[in-house]
Amino acid sequence: MKSNSRNLVMAAMFGGRRGGRPAVGNPTSIACHGLMERAKVSFPEAHLNARAMAELALAGHEEVGFDTVMPEYSVVQEAAALGAQVDWGDRDKMPDVKEFPNADFSDIVVPPDFLEKPSCRVVLDALSILRRHVGGRVAIIGKVMGPWTMSYHMAGTQNFLLAVGMGESDKVTKMLRQLMPVTVAFINAQFAAGADIVVLADHATRNLVGPYHYQEYLLPIHQEITAQVGGPLILHVCGNCSDRLELFAESGVDAYHFEWQVDAREAVRRIGDRVSLAGNINNPQVLLQGRPEDVHHQARYAIAAGVHLIGPECAIPLSTPIENLKAIVAAAREGW
Amino acid sequence: MSDHLDRIKAAVIGGRHGEIKALVQQALEAGADPSTLINDALIAAMDVVGTDFGAGRIFVPEMLVSAVTMKAGLDVVKPRLAAGESRSRGTVVMATVKGDLHDIGKNLVSMMLEGAGFKVMDLGVDLSVEKLVDQVRTIQPDILGLSALLTTTMPEMQKVIGELQRQGLRDRVKVLVGGAPVDPGFAEKIGADGYGANAAEAVALARRIVDAKG
Repeated sequence: MKSNSRNLVMAAMFGGRRGGRPAVGNPTSIACHGLMERAKVSFPEAHLNARAMAELALAGHEEVGFDTVMPEYSVVQEAAALGAQVDWGDRDKMPDVKEFPNADFSDIVVPPDFLEKPSCRVVLDALSILRRHVGGRVAIIGKVMGPWTMSYHMAGTQNFLLAVGMGESDKVTKMLRQLMPVTVAFINAQFAAGADIVVLADHATRNLVGPYHYQEYLLPIHQEITAQVGGPLILHVCGNCSDRLELFAESGVDAYHFEWQVDAREAVRRIGDRVSLAGNINNPQVLLQGRPEDVHHQARYAIAAGVHLIGPECAIPLSTPIENLKAIVAAAREGW
Repeated sequence: MSDHLDRIKAAVIGGRHGEIKALVQQALEAGADPSTLINDALIAAMDVVGTDFGAGRIFVPEMLVSAVTMKAGLDVVKPRLAAGESRSRGTVVMATVKGDLHDIGKNLVSMMLEGAGFKVMDLGVDLSVEKLVDQVRTIQPDILGLSALLTTTMPEMQKVIGELQRQGLRDRVKVLVGGAPVDPGFAEKIGADGYGANAAEAVALARRIVDAKG
């Protein structure tokens, strides 16, 4: 196997041949001020303009040395296309939903031209630009929100979780099922546009819900999604999810992107034979506040533990020093 | 009487929101002391809920329903409190910092603090440093509670503390911080007065602070 970035990542996704070194990837955003300066683009432009999106993603490979490029930095592209009011933020502030269109759990109407709405079209165009620039050499990652996360945006997180707590399962399931086709369509469109891999981000995190909620409401839906899409998927659920790793492995995804709070050795031991593991470098203490030596130490721990794709655990803080991102790459370049 | 209190406590812990008003009404009609009912049933129940949440036995959906149940019970009891009994334990200003629209954690803490007898002024989400400092000057709370869910927004907490210092207000208010990415080390580093890992811890911390003030 030729050890180019794409091949290293794809081999890691399927637990395949080892190249000359571990692969470094970012299933979620590594956009930070330093990278914006190098790419000469900023937020909110990089959420709304395909070329700016692609430029910023490319900087992650060209300036920092990551083996992947991932051009979607927000978690609200789908919600915007579905009619939620979005504040697109600025250089220092990530976008978020301002008003929830289905707070009353009314039916979600998916526009027939959903994929052509500007906030979705821009992602598809950015992926195609990246394909033309680095296709075959660098792994191109897309990102789509799952129905659970979209429910937070359409109904409001507290409102949605209150319905879960009240045991209003018909209401909750109806919303999830109405959103599921959005996830499937956007994933397949991202593959068609040029993604090698797509991240399915669905925040059924331990900070909010229990493993039993995931099992009851979301696992069956994730199994349907994975059965309906045409390419490799990485599941992203942040927080300490040690209590539900096996459930994630049953979802049909090819990899799980996880936080440092889940011990890397433990994760590999428990589910590493069924799915690949990605991420594991701590954001708030290590990448944001730590020194490159701290990052190096954690990256080497993850590599030794058998994590397949090394990278930040989640979207990084915007003020993360670029030197700390480079320290992940340097640790991986030391080889196995 | 303890039967009534036990039933109310169990209803809050179990999130049986449909039953709580009738249960509290029955207890009051049976002669329960309103203040005892609040402290030994409603708040005591939320202490159990907070402990279960901290231990990972229950999660936000269950905690939200318990908090809603407690609040419904409080609404029945509060008008029955004597004037002296309804005096607040202290004033807390709560807010999610700039750039962050997440409010569940803050809302839970606010509900629990209210239940514990604090006067809570919830300023909402996405609060700029300037607005927060202005509100501290105007309201003069005992405690400022700052919340952030995102690693991208947690540095705002440090800016708020810095600005309070610059404007000479830092000694007049205790600053407590919380939220998923925040930890005791971060709280110490930015000069906060305390950190709560969950709503129950936040309430315990607030109680300690006002008790220490006397």
